Order: sequence, then C-alpha cells, then structure tokens
Amino acid sequence: MNELALNAASLRYDNGFTALNNVTAQFDSGSFTALVGPSGCGKSSLLRLLAGLEQPFIGSVAGLAQRHIGFVFQEPTLLAWRSVADNITLPLQIEGHSPNEIATRLDEALALVGLADFADALPRQLSGGMKMRVSLARALAKRPPVLLMDEPFAALDELTRFRLDDDLRAIWQQQKCTIIFVTHSVTEAAYLAERALIMQSGEIRQEIAIDQSGRDGGFRSAPAFTAACAALSAALGHDIGGEI
Amino acid sequence: MRYLVPLLLGLALLAFWEIWVSAANVPVFILPAPSAIGTALVDNFAALMAALWITVKVTLLAFFWAVVSAVGLAIIFTRARLIEMALYPYVITLQVTPVVAIAPLILIWVGFDNASRALVIIAWIVAFFPMLTNTVQGLRSIDPQLHDLMTLSGASWRQRLVYLELPAALPAMLTGAKISGGLALIGAVVAEFVAGSGASTGLAWRIIEAGNRLEIATMFASLALLSALGIFLFYLLSFCEWLLLHRWHESFRR
Repeated sequence: MNELALNAASLRYDNGFTALNNVTAQFDSGSFTALVGPSGCGKSSLLRLLAGLEQPFIGSVAGLAQRHIGFVFQEPTLLAWRSVADNITLPLQIEGHSPNEIATRLDEALALVGLADFADALPRQLSGGMKMRVSLARALAKRPPVLLMDEPFAALDELTRFRLDDDLRAIWQQQKCTIIFVTHSVTEAAYLAERALIMQSGEIRQEIAIDQSGRDGGFRSAPAFTAACAALSAALGHDIGGEI
Repeated sequence: MRYLVPLLLGLALLAFWEIWVSAANVPVFILPAPSAIGTALVDNFAALMAALWITVKVTLLAFFWAVVSAVGLAIIFTRARLIEMALYPYVITLQVTPVVAIAPLILIWVGFDNASRALVIIAWIVAFFPMLTNTVQGLRSIDPQLHDLMTLSGASWRQRLVYLELPAALPAMLTGAKISGGLALIGAVVAEFVAGSGASTGLAWRIIEAGNRLEIATMFASLALLSALGIFLFYLLSFCEWLLLHRWHESFRR
C-alpha cells in the first residue's frame, strides 16, 4: 500500500529557485527510507512537500492530513517557556484531545524516548541530545502513521547520535510507522534505513535497497552495513564527479 | 555593595549640598538646601500627594492604552502586510512630529470639557511607538520552524497567538514596556506643561506654579517626587519582567 507518493512533482520557491524537479517516489506503509544527498539537493524540500508545508508547482502529492504527520525538525524547536511535558502535549492540546487522553499519550511518548524523569524540566536545563528526544517525543505523541525527520541528529555529537539512531530503530519497529529520514550522513542512512534515495540537484538520482541481514546482532560491524555504506558512497561519489 | 555604594554617594552629595548652600549663603530662590526641600515636601504634603496621584493616573492610563493599542496594532501588522504598508508611514509621522506641537490641537479637540483626557492622549502618543516597534520585532523574530510546528498541529490563528506568538514576543514586549513606561511619564509631564490647567493639577503643573511663585523648594520637592515615580515605574516593570521571564529566558541565565 502506498501511503505517501510524489507524482512528477516540482517545487519552485517565490524567489524562482527550483528546489525539486520532476520527482516521483513512493513510500510504502511501515517502510524506513533515508533521503541522502549534499546540502541544497532538495531533501528538506521533499520532506516539506510531503508534510504539506509547501505546495508543488507542478505534479501532485498523495499525502496525509497534517494531523497524521509527525515532523521532527533539524533543531529541537521547543518552546522555551514550556516544560518538557507541556512541549510534548502542545500539538495534542491544539488538536483538542481530552486531558485523560493527553496524559496517557504523554506517558507513552516520554517512555519511548526515555525521558520519564524529566517531564517537569525546562528546555534550557536539557542537553542537546535530550532536547532532540523531547522533539521526537512531541512528534510521537500524535501517534502518527508517518514520521518525517529532517536531519534531526545532525547537530549532535557522534556517540549521542549513535544512541538516538538505535532508539529510533527500536521505536520504528515497535510503532510500525512509516519513517522518511533526511540525512547527509552515509553511515547514518545505511544504519537506519531499509532503502536510501540518493538526491542531487533537486532530483532523485538513484534508489538503493539496503540489505537487512545481520540486523539481529551489532549491525555496525555486519558486512551488509559495510556494503550499504560503500554502495551509498559510490552513488554519491559518482554524482559529485568522483570525489567524496 | 551594589546598593550601599550608590546610597553612600547620594548621602555624601546631599551633605555637601547642605553644607555648601549654608556656607556660601546661596539664596533660597536659587538653590534651596536639601533640608529646605524636605520641609517644603512636608509642608505641602497633601497638595503634592494629590498632584502626584493625578500624574500617576495620567501616566498609568497612557501606558495602559499604549500597551493595548501597540500590541493590537502589532498583531494586525504581522498578520496583514498590506495594512502595515498602508499605516506605517502615518505611525512614523505621529512619532516624529514633536508632541508639543500637536498638543494644542488635541486640547482643542478633546480637552475643553475634559482636560485629563487630553493629557492622557498626549502622553499616549509619546509612549506608543517603542511599544509598537518592539512588539512587531518580537513577533517577527519567531523561528519559522515554530510556525511550521503550529501549522502541522492545525492551530487556529488564535491558538497560534496564545500558544506561540505572544509568549515568544514577550521578552521584546517587556523591553518595549520598560521604555514606554518611562516615556508615558515624560509624556504626562510634557502634557501638563502644555495643556495642564486648574482642572487637573499634576506634579508638572505644581512645578510651573511653584516656579512662578519662586517657591523653589516646592519645585524641587515636586521634581524629587517625579523622579521617584519614574524610578518606581522602572523597577516595577523590571520586576514584572523578572517574574515572567526568569524561569525560562536566556537573559536571566546566571
């Protein structure tokens, strides 16, 4: 079943810049896709198109209503004056859920990201990684069938990023949601996703399926992971003229 | 130390003033000694307090309306670019035209049967602009991703205003309020100078009156009360700022 799809979609911004050019892609329900490419290649634009934050110039988007979409931004994007709990429940509050429902979903989201002890903390008391967890929890609290993530862990140190990558994989397997994850990191894409879409200059240049064998153990040392990294690097290297 | 040092300096200056005035035989209608000013304050206490109360009322009313109208207009400006384009030149015109020059007009239009209303309007004109620009600035500098977040949550314009825009703009609004509060007082004094009358005798009017009668000590006493009022307003607004922001805002990070 195709939950999300772009059909020959182009996106042009008001200043005349064409961010996406004739892009066609399908995202199956429950799949984990990474969008990989250099900065300015249109991966964030593609995500914003899927989220309905931008409208296609030509072509069409088969998407979901915005309330069914969880979006995680590059920055934590928290409201500094609200506690962790109040940040997570903000979208639910706006959507008008009952207090009981909100409390249930808050506990669930806090547990998923491992922040149960920090519900009353303010954003400024948290580390960068914890802020990102709050941001993720806020998206998960909507119980979205689709989770769109725009380089969410790019600003974090590598160890924190590895841990969040692991947690995200676990959450995905537990929640069975569709995840589309934008990153410029080849290793992160290879580690997280089932397939990667290589983007360049506003177009999808290549689709690479990532062999999932070896997921049960430490995937970072599995041959499938190394192979995926090599395949992705080659795809990107080819596109930027043989250099990485 | 932070309070003690300026306090000691103030006391030393007052003592020097007192001694110098009596030693050099400065006439009381040129520069009265602090003790004479104190006496004038006590002697005219009831009249000065009544005058202070009138100035306080004009200042606070002007400040209140400046905040309400500036925040309202700022919200309209950030929602409707066209209205901003149409109105902004006139707002600036109102700001740059010296209020003393408009005061007689305002007095003619609204002041004849209600002098204090004219005073409030004049003080409002003075206090309005910094509140407006700061609020517009605060509303404009909200992270666009936070707006995206509200869009994705399906927020109505009112929810966007309450949950995001007003709290996010609060620091800038409070900065504007601190400036506007001081300006409202200045505006009230200017208004009384140009439009005050026997019907509403605030502190500024007392100053003119005492000056005409060469009661310089009373003049100084009124002046001291005006300064005290200005300082009080500033610290009151600073306290509000602390109360509202210290939990979360960067400016209160120790």
